[in-house]
Amino acid sequence: MAVAIRVYREGNGARLVPTGTFDLGHTMAATRLLPDVKARLHGCVSVDVDLAELEQIDGTGAALLAQLLDRLDADGLQIRVTEGPNPEAARLLALSRQRGRHLPIRKVAMQNLMARIGKLAMDMPQKATEAFDFTGRCAAALPRAAATPRSLDWASMPRLVQEVGADALPVTSAANLLVGVIIGFLGISQLEPFGALSKVPALVVVAHFRELGPLVTAIVVAGRSGAGLASELATMKVSEEIDAFRTLGFDPVRWLVVPRCFALIVTLPLLTWIGDLLALLGGMFATTTLTSMSPRTYLALTANNVTVTHLFVSLTKPPFLALAIGLVACGHGLATRGGAAAVGRRTTTAVVQSIFAVILISAVFTFFFALIGV
Amino acid sequence: MATLAPHISVDDLRIGWGTRVLMEHVSFQVKRGSTFAILGGSGSGKSTLLRYLIGLERPETGRITIDGVGAPHQYEGVPPFGVLFQSGALFSSMTLAENLALPLTRWTSINEVVKRELAQSKLDLVGLGAFPDYLPGEISGGMKKRAGIARALMLDPRLLFFDEPSAGLDPISAFELDELILALSRDLGITIILVTHELPSIFLVANQCIVLEKSAKGIVATGDPRKLRDESKIPFVHNFFTRSGADRSTGQGG
Repeated sequence: MAVAIRVYREGNGARLVPTGTFDLGHTMAATRLLPDVKARLHGCVSVDVDLAELEQIDGTGAALLAQLLDRLDADGLQIRVTEGPNPEAARLLALSRQRGRHLPIRKVAMQNLMARIGKLAMDMPQKATEAFDFTGRCAAALPRAAATPRSLDWASMPRLVQEVGADALPVTSAANLLVGVIIGFLGISQLEPFGALSKVPALVVVAHFRELGPLVTAIVVAGRSGAGLASELATMKVSEEIDAFRTLGFDPVRWLVVPRCFALIVTLPLLTWIGDLLALLGGMFATTTLTSMSPRTYLALTANNVTVTHLFVSLTKPPFLALAIGLVACGHGLATRGGAAAVGRRTTTAVVQSIFAVILISAVFTFFFALIGV
Repeated sequence: MATLAPHISVDDLRIGWGTRVLMEHVSFQVKRGSTFAILGGSGSGKSTLLRYLIGLERPETGRITIDGVGAPHQYEGVPPFGVLFQSGALFSSMTLAENLALPLTRWTSINEVVKRELAQSKLDLVGLGAFPDYLPGEISGGMKKRAGIARALMLDPRLLFFDEPSAGLDPISAFELDELILALSRDLGITIILVTHELPSIFLVANQCIVLEKSAKGIVATGDPRKLRDESKIPFVHNFFTRSGADRSTGQGG
């Protein structure tokens, strides 16, 4: 049944007669009627609303009609509702109008790009303060953790090492193996024209051990384990478990953050090492498949290029990368406010920022090692 | 033995953020051994006030003391109170027994066997003795609340805070929880502060209360809830206790 609102002008008054079905299914049709009705009532001082011809009305329809009547009321018109044979419709309309009076109409401001950039800039000092505050609390937690070992959740360490380390092994291994294959293919294509195929194993060692191994492993762990840590702590925050820890006398940083960072620091170097070995195998696969180099020759050339320096560089970075992942992920988790949507937002931000932090720290190390000639 | 000193004292507390004030000039005292209710409509700041009382927020203005000394956030030692959060706030990765044993792990040197026994005794106290190895996700909302109470009791505090203990419970479970609160107060002499707007609970368990009102930005009434219901001249307070009308005027006094 179509919806309509007939308007009958009677001097400086008017009679409104809604007809048809004012319900959820006819919301758009009803909404389109309202501006015209309001315009046709211009100059009136009173309006009589006759509900006798209303076929059907539900909460949505009542809210729309109430909206119209409230606007007319705000314009100073006297409103009278005649229920006729439709008392239920009159009650529903009265209920919507009564509720509407108590609730202020809030306009949500649309944010354009400049406004969003401005808001981002305004939020930066507070975000920076929060980051420094969290970092400071973590730094302060370490000596206290050493002084009171019972304030740390050692019982969770095996589970954490399993989750952030062992469970990440398949994906980090696959990633590093493939990176080794890629470096091998790249090396062959670039070095073969110069007759320098014998340098491919060295390329794989240098590129992967020094740079790509720690970086790729850390990025995979940041995306996988970092997301898990951030979402775990964020969920605990929104369900008041973090508050419960505090009221039981636990420091959430010592109890939750320190063990998680420790688990990452222990496992990331191991994952990096395993990844390095697999990358060598990947490079060997690429080289021996596409060239006439034998596996024995490849391994011999590799062994000649695996130096203590390269191993040192490969081992030095992972603990710092692990700490960055742990602090960013846990920091965002503990800073969560809100509900499920906030958990998702924080987790995403944690992953993005920890990946960026990992790349930044790797770049700093590369620059530093270049400066000191390592 | 009862003493004259209040168990909790709040003096001229102001809660706000920048220019936005939620409540100010809030002062009240909670007698030792009493059951004290913090009441008010939605948005009046009941749960926020509770967060300040249990030390999760630090007051910028005003003073909160427990047993006449210190502010809650300054405690370094064993917390002098237990808290039941609205959802129970059980640690989801631990069984009920492990949840209850955790405070003992932090603050005592009790071995695992004795910890387990103590946790079992507290679970028995709240009627959950058959569920020590259940995870929080495997029990009902009412059971989580009771487990939360049991955990709050593990360090034998003399003071308990309850945040909306009956929220979300069916009437029978809510009544059983009220009976448990009464028993804790009557039999163990524990001072209890609860944030609630469940009228049956208020009249059953509370012997003192404050009423907060959002527009008044503070306390509009103090006293015995039954007396306030019967004698208060403030329309908002009267309507709150009798669930009547829409008059939210607060007037003066109590």
